[in-house]
Amino acid sequence: MSSVALVGNPNTGKTSLFNTLTSSYEYVGNWAGVTVEKKVGSLKNGAGKLIDLPGIYSLHPLSRDEGVAAQYLVEETPEALINIVDASQLERNLLLTLQLLEYGKPTLLGLNMIDVANARGIHVNPEVLEARLGITVLPLVARTGKGSAQVLSVLQHTSAIPAVNFRLDYGELAEEAIASIEQELSEIQGLPNHRWVALQLMEQNPIILELLSKRMDTGRMLAICDSCQSNLQSRKLALTLPQWIRSVRMDYIRSLCREAMDTSSIKPHNLTERLDAVLTHRYLGLPLFIFFMYVMFKATFEWIGAPLSDLLDGFIAGPLSDGAGTLLESIGASGFTHALIVDGIIGGVGGVLVFVPQIFILFLMISFLEDSGYMARVCLLMDSTMERMGLNGKAFIPFIIGFGCNVPAIMAARSIEQPKDRMLTTLLMPLMSCSARLPVYLLFAAVFFPQRQAAAVLSMYVLGVVFALVLCKLFSKHLFKNDSSVFIVELPPYRMPQFKTLGRSTWEKGKGFLRKAGTIILAGSVIIWLMTYAGPGGLDVAMDDSFLAKFGGLIAPLLEPLGFGTWQAGSTLVPGFLAKEVVVSTMNIIYHVPDAPGLENQIAQVFTPLSSISFMAFILLYIPCLATVGVIKKETASWKWTLFSMGYSLVLAYIVSLVIFQVGRLLGWS
Amino acid sequence: MASTSCSLLRLQPGSTCSILKIEGMNPILRRRLADLGVSEGVVVRLKGRGPFLGPVTLECNGQLFAIRRKEASRIEVNVS
Repeated sequence: MSSVALVGNPNTGKTSLFNTLTSSYEYVGNWAGVTVEKKVGSLKNGAGKLIDLPGIYSLHPLSRDEGVAAQYLVEETPEALINIVDASQLERNLLLTLQLLEYGKPTLLGLNMIDVANARGIHVNPEVLEARLGITVLPLVARTGKGSAQVLSVLQHTSAIPAVNFRLDYGELAEEAIASIEQELSEIQGLPNHRWVALQLMEQNPIILELLSKRMDTGRMLAICDSCQSNLQSRKLALTLPQWIRSVRMDYIRSLCREAMDTSSIKPHNLTERLDAVLTHRYLGLPLFIFFMYVMFKATFEWIGAPLSDLLDGFIAGPLSDGAGTLLESIGASGFTHALIVDGIIGGVGGVLVFVPQIFILFLMISFLEDSGYMARVCLLMDSTMERMGLNGKAFIPFIIGFGCNVPAIMAARSIEQPKDRMLTTLLMPLMSCSARLPVYLLFAAVFFPQRQAAAVLSMYVLGVVFALVLCKLFSKHLFKNDSSVFIVELPPYRMPQFKTLGRSTWEKGKGFLRKAGTIILAGSVIIWLMTYAGPGGLDVAMDDSFLAKFGGLIAPLLEPLGFGTWQAGSTLVPGFLAKEVVVSTMNIIYHVPDAPGLENQIAQVFTPLSSISFMAFILLYIPCLATVGVIKKETASWKWTLFSMGYSLVLAYIVSLVIFQVGRLLGWS
Repeated sequence: MASTSCSLLRLQPGSTCSILKIEGMNPILRRRLADLGVSEGVVVRLKGRGPFLGPVTLECNGQLFAIRRKEASRIEVNVS
């Protein structure tokens, strides 16, 4: 099997092309740093594997996602590369192209976004690029799939892609150094192209340096670099060796672009400029963002989500539940089976499934934000606030993704340049209220705040963000004592998200929720139901004598000061650690009602408006779910930080709920 | 033609200038700017300023990006 790697600058459409060339689907969006991991897919024509790498500007990585790509090129040996370049940003993109050509593998150049470039009045001549670089150049529009058939047909025979014969002359001094380093390298087996290794070493690429120092003594080669650098300095050619190499490349690229590009009719980004004038306005920008968020929540929870959810609830509680009951009776199922299926499974899983409409609409909104290019602007708007809290605006992209699910959000933090900022973002992520916590708020908001559902739910999200900011200040001051953060964000041109992409990306996010409903929520529901059905006194006991009641009763006294010291509330918290959705499933089972109105009735008797707020805040904060804990461990590579993230959230949740309930009581609320 | 040099921050939004030197900037940011093609001699345009003394938006070779004011003040430019 041959393998081909997709390489290119961030946000140039590598993953879009990957999705059209392979039968898999990966996450796409309009900002730099969507792909943070190496993804492998099979080419549609069965000719081999395609590897999608995170975007990089050069082979010298700054952030962790870039490290993944650079590492791949050094350690693995793809048979060929597809270098995707953004035709509207050719100069910047070609800097990486030259380094890839020096790498020496057979390479295809995918000239992407020619539609965007043409619309801006930039015309690139692929023949000139082909002739000067000596590789095949294919014009593409990866978003619509135009040109992908040609790519696929070239990839049919990867071995037929000609080897690259590109050689840039770096001037007498540097060439001498390259030759001497190549001499030193000649003994070492299994290295990529030696000239490329030499050049990367001269550019002080840390990955190459690490690779070489494992195999040999690098002292002599570094001395060659140093002497070359001082020669360049004494001839006043450049201040440093990396600078010299870069300037030689830039000179070549400029001459190439003059030949290959016609920019005589170039136009500014009209739409983007006009939108930015309003959306990133120094006074209007932030209020507009808050307004958009409010409308988004209003639409998700009140205008569209709630009516759809009611319809679904009517179906599950009515025809489905009754139908299953009748069917079970007609086949003569035992009382146990009947109760397990109707009360346990339909009650537990169905109780969560009724929130599918709200969750999918929320995912649709997030997908729209991701694909439009607005996400990067939010970073810009939030940066000064975030800076005061010791973090940078870029952390806001993961935070917004975290409203969907914390797991991909923590992965998204990889594109943040500074390790300290990345760590802070990861640790604070569990405070972003994910879609799994949503059913709890929706349930309680419907009972206690029917007139202000969107506001009640939104306030939980705001509470999470506020605590994240406050703790961020605290953590960055006391746990990380190093320098201040840096901030730079690329602002891609706005674009209207395509319907197909939106649908696909919403489905991919929502699929996980449905899968959970069929696995962990189902399993959780069955176990919880069994624990309510059985007790120390045998099977089919009264609910108050069941194992679940005994177990919840152990926790209940601890929760008494928070206002919900019942075994029912207590027993939802432990399964909630597996998946937050199970909190609602458990309630459905405990209160023995398969439909929402019945459950709402029960809850209104056990909780008060005040204790319901306290409970919602507790669910918001109390612990990252199992999957999130797993990804925190993976990304921080430290049990200490993982346990810390669980510990601080538990303490925070307890204090916040305690304050809400006790202060509320003092103020005479109930 | 007389040209004057000043900090990038002193420019009016919408005006264009060429970079004279970049000094004392955080090395990570410096590298990232170089990746985006921003270095000495390159023409940039100041597009706007963010809220609450927030970042400034710059354009270079048709690419828009934003950096903080403190960092932008390290960029000395030539206005012609």
